[in-house]
Amino acid sequence: MADVVFDQASRIYTPGAKPAVDRLDLTIEDGEFVVLVGPSGSGKSTALRMLAGLEEIDGGSIRIDGENMVGVASRDRDIAMVFQNYALYPNKTVAENMAFPLKMAGIDKSDRAVKVKEAAEILGLTDYLDRKPRALSGGQRQRVAMGRAIVREPRVFLMDEPLSNLDAKMRVQTRTEIAALQRRLGVTTVYVTHDQVEAMTMGDRVALLADGKLQQFASPADLYDRPQNAFVAGFIGSPAMNLFRARVTERGVTLAGREVALPQDVRSTIGSKQLTEVTLGIRPEQWTVAPDGGEGIPARVDVVEELGSDAYLYGTLAESSGDLSATASLTGSHDDSVVVRTAGRTGARRGDRVALTPSTEGLHLFHPETGDRL
Amino acid sequence: MTTTEAPPQAAPERQTSPAAERRDGWIRRAPLLPALIFTIIVTQLPFLVTIWYSLQSWNLVRPGSQRFVGFENYATVFTDSQFRGVALNSILLTLGAVAIAMVLGLLIALLLNRAFLGRGIVRTLIITPFLITPVAGALLWKSVLFDPTYGLVNFLLSPFGAGQTDWVSTFPRAAVIIALVWQWTPFMMLLILAGLGSQPPEVLEAARMDGATGFAVFREVTLPHLRRFIELGVVLGAIYLVNTFDTIYMMTQGGPGTASANLPFYIYQRAFLGFDIGESAAMGVVTVVATIIVATLALRLIFRSFSAAEEA
Amino acid sequence: MTAVDERTTATPAATAPRRTSRGPGALLSVLAWIVGLGFFFPVLWMVMTAFKTEAQAVTIPPTVFFVPTFDNFAEVFGGGVGPYLLNSLFATVASTVLVLLLGTPAAFALSLRPVKKTQDVLFFFISTKMLPVVAAIVPIYVVVNYLGALDNIWTLIVLYTAMNLPIAVWMMRSFFLEVPKELLEAASMDGASLWRSLREVVLPIISPGMAATALICSIFAWNEFFFAVNLTASRAATVPVYLVGFITSEGLYFASLCAAATVAALPVVIAGWIAQNKLVQGLSFGAVK
Repeated sequence: MADVVFDQASRIYTPGAKPAVDRLDLTIEDGEFVVLVGPSGSGKSTALRMLAGLEEIDGGSIRIDGENMVGVASRDRDIAMVFQNYALYPNKTVAENMAFPLKMAGIDKSDRAVKVKEAAEILGLTDYLDRKPRALSGGQRQRVAMGRAIVREPRVFLMDEPLSNLDAKMRVQTRTEIAALQRRLGVTTVYVTHDQVEAMTMGDRVALLADGKLQQFASPADLYDRPQNAFVAGFIGSPAMNLFRARVTERGVTLAGREVALPQDVRSTIGSKQLTEVTLGIRPEQWTVAPDGGEGIPARVDVVEELGSDAYLYGTLAESSGDLSATASLTGSHDDSVVVRTAGRTGARRGDRVALTPSTEGLHLFHPETGDRL
Repeated sequence: MTTTEAPPQAAPERQTSPAAERRDGWIRRAPLLPALIFTIIVTQLPFLVTIWYSLQSWNLVRPGSQRFVGFENYATVFTDSQFRGVALNSILLTLGAVAIAMVLGLLIALLLNRAFLGRGIVRTLIITPFLITPVAGALLWKSVLFDPTYGLVNFLLSPFGAGQTDWVSTFPRAAVIIALVWQWTPFMMLLILAGLGSQPPEVLEAARMDGATGFAVFREVTLPHLRRFIELGVVLGAIYLVNTFDTIYMMTQGGPGTASANLPFYIYQRAFLGFDIGESAAMGVVTVVATIIVATLALRLIFRSFSAAEEA
Repeated sequence: MTAVDERTTATPAATAPRRTSRGPGALLSVLAWIVGLGFFFPVLWMVMTAFKTEAQAVTIPPTVFFVPTFDNFAEVFGGGVGPYLLNSLFATVASTVLVLLLGTPAAFALSLRPVKKTQDVLFFFISTKMLPVVAAIVPIYVVVNYLGALDNIWTLIVLYTAMNLPIAVWMMRSFFLEVPKELLEAASMDGASLWRSLREVVLPIISPGMAATALICSIFAWNEFFFAVNLTASRAATVPVYLVGFITSEGLYFASLCAAATVAALPVVIAGWIAQNKLVQGLSFGAVK
């Protein structure tokens, strides 16, 4: 078990071009479960593979337990990895697959068998030890890959999208199993995914990457409640946070012609930066819906997604309730489309007109150019 | 968010030194080198020597006759009407055999691309001619099948009034082409069959849903898909067939005269029966140059196929 | 044979569009059988004739029903085909082993851990197959003669190795490329050195491909005639050279000719039947799977 430090770690495929991972700084505590999340091409997998020793570290360093890993071969790092496609050895049985790292470590046969048996019991693979990987289901293969990682009790677990080849139900089940297993074993784990739900549900802390750069490294709750920039705000949460361009006024900002009041401290920050426009972010659940003509910003409901427990209204904002028929478009520009979460079965229907009011504490403000939180 | 004091704009120092990179390059290259060096020595050096010989007058029958004559041999080769006839034969035999084998192979592949009783056996039967040692196959055609008196072909054709035709001496080129087609159709068939097998069934189903009839599906969907395989078959068939030696040697000895000789056989005759090293070397060089011209075009085609295969 | 047939029907038929064998379908099936038997017929006739007496072999109309005799085979073996067979066998096995020893590392260097200019090297290998061997035979003959290596089986082995190496490199490369890169990465994470991961992980996966490559190179080496006839005489001559003796049989020795041809062809026919699924892959340098 160990702590892991990325210190200005960079990966540059072609000198001069944009780095795949750009001076990444991360400090991962001993026993912590950290999720690297981001869209494809964000560098999250590259960062993991740098830690694994499968990609060069072109700049900075990566340290495990204070030990610099630059120039250290994968096999000497004492880390285990679960691959996206599991990378099970097709000609070896489940038992042989799981025993392979132990065999490479020179552990004798009887000890290997004991450890494999233990791991198989934990993972419910005891009945399948003599099978070849191709005779297993997707979920079982995934567990064999897990088993191969845990038998040798490595310092760090690495997981590269280990759930993406499973069906939806299996994925949810395995998600909780992996999280529970990690907590039980207490081994430092770095987990890569593009799925923000996995990131939010599994990680002690989540590192969000985009374009090779770290956007924010925080607990899931912090990430959700205090996104450091507009990118984080838009990436975390489903449906995504509503982001509007809003003009700055005396008491706050205007949204679709209506003034939204802002607290004094935020107003002074805006004032100090002399901004005339800001990006205003409001999560779908931070709206209050009133009938048409009521207090709030007039909007028309374009689509209703009824999920049972709650419902999502996809609508269009308007300067005034009269404008709405003119902007009857589902694919309207982002600036006036809005997503609202309401309780289920409110009876809202397509074409209804409503008035929306954002809650004051649910307002996020970002710099219009840099996207940084204000 | 982490905002440590980063050295601004400083290019992250590369951990791999040029020396280490060079070492890595050699480690990667090491497994390749034995094969590469071996191939260069055994296949490339002789060609260079051939060029040198082609500039000499050298007949093994007259020891000590070796002397440098420049391009004299080439002049002789180009004015040799037999050489031109042989070159034409080479083209005829190659193209004729490749074209017929490809058409037959395509038809048979279509015939076999369905589930029917004993499909595997039929396929095994058809590929057998391709496996038969070519020398044995040629011998079989020349004697047991094409023999004017006892040959099976004349017997089978006797109801149609064929007499004791001596196929091999009357139609030497056709006889050779028949033997080559018999040998190479299976290869074309296997290639096309692989092509048909690689066609996603959804595309065919979609075409049928779109209202295409059987033949339209073939013309609009299957044939374009097979194009790559047909090209590849033609190119590979030509590469192998242009070097045909054993079939001609066994069936006709290039005869009568040089009526059925191709370039390999003619050069062999000049070198090993005429002992004219200089002239046969010059012919070899001419053949190589001609082949390079054709092969460059062919390789371009073939490489397109290879890259497509790797993308698939 | 049945084992082979089952395997061959299993793979491609699975992807082939299936239609019911009724009406025109049945007709097509019959046609396919006729074509298959037609192509096979000369071979069948050859084998049948090999079991006839010389007199039965040349009757008009041809003899179809007869009591098989092994006299021709006895004569072929008694007449000294043995050394030719041994030469062929040795040249085939030795050149194939050499091809694998040289070709497997080369294919590795062109696939899993590719060198720079991989495409150029591949191009070079394939281009050696495009140059007509006949243009090289003169200097090869002169050099071999100078080295005193005429009529020496090792001369053929070296040449056959060079002849088959491009095919083997291309084919083995296509097998290496099918090994998922992650397997090597996983093995290195699991603590295996490159050499061990090649031996323990990659080799078991590519060994069927290696077997197919070996089989195809063997077929080529066994069937080779040009070098054999030009560079050997009596000591190192191979089976195809032995068959040259039957070139002027003129209806006198059809039965023994057929017996000799059968003996010469049988090993490769069997090898080819076993390797038929990989045959195209080998001949197309791995371009067609």
